[in-house]
Amino acid sequence: MRMNALFSQLVMLGSSGMLLSALIVLWRKSVPSYISAYRWQAWLLAAVTATVAYFAGDRQLFAVAAALVALKGFAIPALLRTMQQRFGAQPQIKPYVNTETSLCVAGLLVMFAYVLARPWMAVTHLPTREGLPLAMALLFVSLFIIVSRRKAITQVIGFLMLENAIALLAVVGTYGVPLLVEVGVFLDALMGFLVMQIFVYHIHETFDTIDVEQLKHLRH
Amino acid sequence: MLTLSLLLGPPLLASCLSILVRRHTHLVGWAGVAGLSLSFAASIALCVEVVTGGSATAGHPLPDLWHVDALSALVALCIAFVALLASASGPGLGGDDGYDEAQTRRFRIFMNAFAFTMLAAVTIQNVALMWVAVEATTIMSAMLIPLRRTKASVEASWKYILICSVGIALAFAGTVLAYFDFVATAGDVPGSLNWTALRAAAPSLHPELLQLAFAFILVGYGTKAGLAPMHTWLPDAHSEAPAPISAMMSGVLLAVAMYAIARWKAVVDAAVDPAFTCNLLIGFGLLSVAIGVFSLVIQRHYKRMLAYSSVEHIGLVGIGLALGPLGVFAAWLHVMNHAVAKSTSFLLAGRVLHRYDTTEIEKVTGLLRVMPWTGPLFAAGILALVGLPPFGLFVSEFLLVRAAVLTRRFWLAGIVLLLLLAAFVSLLGHLNRMLYGDAPAGVRVGERGGWAVAALAASIGLLVAFGVALPSAISTLIHQSVAALIP
Repeated sequence: MRMNALFSQLVMLGSSGMLLSALIVLWRKSVPSYISAYRWQAWLLAAVTATVAYFAGDRQLFAVAAALVALKGFAIPALLRTMQQRFGAQPQIKPYVNTETSLCVAGLLVMFAYVLARPWMAVTHLPTREGLPLAMALLFVSLFIIVSRRKAITQVIGFLMLENAIALLAVVGTYGVPLLVEVGVFLDALMGFLVMQIFVYHIHETFDTIDVEQLKHLRH
Repeated sequence: MLTLSLLLGPPLLASCLSILVRRHTHLVGWAGVAGLSLSFAASIALCVEVVTGGSATAGHPLPDLWHVDALSALVALCIAFVALLASASGPGLGGDDGYDEAQTRRFRIFMNAFAFTMLAAVTIQNVALMWVAVEATTIMSAMLIPLRRTKASVEASWKYILICSVGIALAFAGTVLAYFDFVATAGDVPGSLNWTALRAAAPSLHPELLQLAFAFILVGYGTKAGLAPMHTWLPDAHSEAPAPISAMMSGVLLAVAMYAIARWKAVVDAAVDPAFTCNLLIGFGLLSVAIGVFSLVIQRHYKRMLAYSSVEHIGLVGIGLALGPLGVFAAWLHVMNHAVAKSTSFLLAGRVLHRYDTTEIEKVTGLLRVMPWTGPLFAAGILALVGLPPFGLFVSEFLLVRAAVLTRRFWLAGIVLLLLLAAFVSLLGHLNRMLYGDAPAGVRVGERGGWAVAALAASIGLLVAFGVALPSAISTLIHQSVAALIP
């Protein structure tokens, strides 16, 4: 019983940390700080996965956690940093929604996630269930990052955080999806990120900016 | 099993071949077309196997992974047909088409991979791997939109990958939710993500959780299917992509997303009162038809006009899926007709664009005189899309309205008819402006026929055949698909 309490607390701690690192993107203004927030989030995701692996005695999940560290903890942040350096210092671009409003909206989204997860909490007795509304909240906050920010690179980071949210949802809700699925999702995430990266370079070369506000030639 | 590998293998091999062989581009191109012909033949064989009752997946080393029923076979048939048509109209096969060698190579790599991922999505029975395949279709097709890099194509590709990746991520959240419920109820058994297993277990699952899961799934795959209001990427992506890719995206990729929704609807309907999913589908479907039609009225570009017409038609399919057995029958018949009509129209529009070098309806005049082959065929394609007899879409739209009346939704039938009428008037108006008048200065008049034109004419012929007398084999196939979705 005490083990379960510890398990539950560790998962909740990790999930809350992931949510906080998403809030950093809404609050800070420089892309390097977003990248380090993403890296923190990826490490926390790996930690939660490893915790679940340890307490549930699932060896496969340890491998998944290791892959998470390699891909999301090292490779993707490194690629993001290269991208950031290639563009150099970008002029300040105001987001569509200012910081104060963004944080209020994020608060409301977290509450909404708790409301939405209620029927779900009722049917399960998993020790990890406290992580479910947090994963939902992370999902909504990442969506909000994507729609409210104007830099293409910030939108990519928002998308990557959305993926983390779903990975967290899978690991706390079901102790991980089958390995074959996990591998497929990993490949898709990597490919999707690489293609997005190519497109951000396209935007930069074609429009001389990564402000997506410039992308409005196509109407009707 | 052999048939299935013949269906999936050739496009995958053709993609690898284009990666590995950099020389002999002409030969590689034709090898790709030959591969997709083989794939198309395999898809026909698959349909025959399913209709005659043989199991198409017997004797496979991984029997759990693949499952082909009538619905899979039907959608695979459409995909293989459109992919074949698109690859035969691809760059580097005919005369000068303005693409250099690197672009041609990139086209072949991603186009074949795109075809492979779509075929995999409809033959895999694991819902999470189906999701992986659908997400892969986004990635593969996105790479092809900026084949010719312009401001517009870069913008379209960015919108496409961002909106669709986000949408599809929500669909995965829905999948995880349903899986969560399954594991919480039944425990972790092998094959628990297969839609056959999910559906069998559905009555014991928690309705409120499945409703939440379905909402995520509908919004997620609905984004990919181009259902309004998540359709905003569609007109940009479909109008900026090269013509063969527009044909595949509009003709069958939307149908693949609808396939995923239909599979999930069957699972959720087993646990929740079907009225829940039906009302949602009717809502999204009707909104899509309305937005599609109103955008058609104000349209100034013919490729965007075709794209909005896809929003309208996918909305009709969504409505059909909600209207009982006859509606589902009409919906899948409509998917098949639309696949042929829309892909042919997009390929013809690509020929018009190549000649006139503009996408504006205003600047395209005298099409009948300038392009004596393409002009009439394009007209026939548009007439088919507005649902005139003798084309197949007339039959499926008629059945759809009939299904609405039979399920006593008179208001729905009325609104759909009114909207279809508005689409009819506006599309014919646009078509009229393009067909007649004098040829603009600087546009070459006259056109030689050839096998490419013959292939497009044959698909228009196919549409007429579907409209006049639907082959009984196809109607059996669709009836079996309906039976697979409605117990």
